[in-house]
Amino acid sequence: MIKETLYADMQKAIVDGDGAAAGRLAAEAAKSGLDLLEVIEKGYVPGLAKVGELWEQGEYFLPELISSAEAMKAAMAVLEPELRSARLKARTAGKAVIGTVEGDIHDIGKNLVASMLQAGGFEVFDLGADVKLEKFIEQAEAVGADFICLSALLTTTMANQRRLIELLKQKDLRAKYRVLVGGAPASQKWAEEIGADGYAENAVAAVKLAKSLNPVRS
Amino acid sequence: MSMGILELVRQRTVLLDGAMGTELMARGLPQGSCPEIWNVERPAAVEDIHRNYFDVGSDVVSTNSFGGSRIKLAAHGLEARTRELNAAAARLARAAAPAGKFVAGSIGPTGKFLKPQGEFSEEEFEAAYAEQAGALSEGGADVLLIETQYDLREALCALRGARRASGLPVFVTMTFNPVPRGYFTLMGDSVARSLHELEKEGALAVGANCTLNSEQMAGLVKVMRKETDLPLIAQANAGQPVVEADGKVTYSQGLEEYVRFVPDIVRSGADLVGGCCGTNPAFIKAMAEFLVRR
Repeated sequence: MIKETLYADMQKAIVDGDGAAAGRLAAEAAKSGLDLLEVIEKGYVPGLAKVGELWEQGEYFLPELISSAEAMKAAMAVLEPELRSARLKARTAGKAVIGTVEGDIHDIGKNLVASMLQAGGFEVFDLGADVKLEKFIEQAEAVGADFICLSALLTTTMANQRRLIELLKQKDLRAKYRVLVGGAPASQKWAEEIGADGYAENAVAAVKLAKSLNPVRS
Repeated sequence: MSMGILELVRQRTVLLDGAMGTELMARGLPQGSCPEIWNVERPAAVEDIHRNYFDVGSDVVSTNSFGGSRIKLAAHGLEARTRELNAAAARLARAAAPAGKFVAGSIGPTGKFLKPQGEFSEEEFEAAYAEQAGALSEGGADVLLIETQYDLREALCALRGARRASGLPVFVTMTFNPVPRGYFTLMGDSVARSLHELEKEGALAVGANCTLNSEQMAGLVKVMRKETDLPLIAQANAGQPVVEADGKVTYSQGLEEYVRFVPDIVRSGADLVGGCCGTNPAFIKAMAEFLVRR
C-alpha cells in the first residue's frame, strides 16, 4: 500500500475511534519497514488534530473523544515495542502528573484530560481523585514531571489548586513545574490570580495548552 | 396527593428551591464530606434549609439526596446506608413542608459512566436508582426529581428505575452545554432527542438545570418548548463561581442580574422554575415576588 493511503487510513481510524483498525494499520506499517516515527507524526497525529477540531465545532462529544484516545493508545501499543527494539523512542511531549485535588471525588473531566494528554503524546501519571497535595509533588519529583495538572469540580475544593502552588513555593520547587488548572469553577482569571501557568476549559484545550507551554525538548 | 403537584402546574407557574450544597457548607459541612450524612447527623440543619426555602415562597423543595445513589455514596464508603440516608432526606423535607407544599426527592447522577466509556451496565444503574427512588418514596416524597443528568442513557436508567420502585410522578432535568451547533449534553445528546426519549419513557415533566446562567437558560427554554408539551422545568446557575481575595466564593451573576431573566424564562414556556448552583433563599424570594406580581 502506498504510504499516503496508509496515512489517510490511520487518520480515519483515529477520527472514527476504531481501535482495531488503528492497531492493524500500525502492525502493517511495522511489517513494511516504514519509518515509524514518521508514521506517528503523519499518520496518527493528524487524526487527533481532526478530532480536536470536530470537538471544537460541536460535532464530537465525550464518547467520541474517548474512543479516539483509545484508538490512539491501540496504535501506540503496537508501535512502541517496535520503536524500542529499534532503540528509538516516540517523541514525548512531556511528563504530566494529574489528579483531582483532595476533598473532591469528581473525576470525569480529569479522566478525559488524562486520556487526551496521553493520546497527544504526553507521558501521564494519573493519581486519581481526592489526591493529597503532597502526593502531587512527591510524584512529580519522583518521575521528573514537566506538568502538574489539577482538577476540581467544587468551589470549595478549587482553593486547593491555590494551596498546591503555595506548597510548591514553600518547598522552593515552583519553577520546576508548569501547573495547569481545570474544572467547572476554574477560569483563566482564577489561574492568573493563583499564579498557575495555565487554564483550559476542556480536554482538547488542555492538550493545546500543554503543548504551547512545553516546546518539545530534544 | 401524588397528582397534586401536576394539578398545581396546570394552574400556575410552580416555584422550586435553590442550591442545597452551599447552604449546608454555610452551616459547617466540611469540605469533601458527604452531604447526605447530615440527614442523620445534623437533621436540624437540613430541615432548617428546607424551611427557609418554604418561607420565601418555594412550592416544592428538593431533598438532600442529590448524591444519594448507592454508586455515589460508595465514594464515601456509605453505600450500606443508602436506604437510611435517602428515607431520612425525604422525612426531613416532609417535616419542614407546610400543608399543600411539596417534597421532590432529588436524584443526581452516579458520577460514573456506562459501558463502553465506563464499567457499569444499564441494569446496575437502573437497580441503584430504583433503590434510591424507593427509599425517597418511603420517606414521604411527593415526586421524584432526577436532575443534572449529562448522559441521556443514564437518565433513562434512572427514570426506569424510579418508575419501577415507586408510583410517584417522575420529573427529569438534563444539563446542557452551549456548543456551536446548539445545546447538547456532555455525551452529545441533543435537546430534542433527550426530551422525546424521556417523554416516551414516562417522565411527567422535563427540563434543564445547572451549567447555564439565567440568560442562557431563557434561550434554552425557547428551544425546549418546541420539543414537548410536557411541563418544563428550568433551574439556572447564578453564572460562574468567582473566588474573592478573602477566599469567599461569589457567583458572576448577582441576584438582580439573575432575576432579570426570570420573566423571560417563564414567558418562554417554563412551568416550574427555581435555582441551581450559586442561588440561595434570597434568589428564590425575588423569584417569588415576580411570580406573585405576574
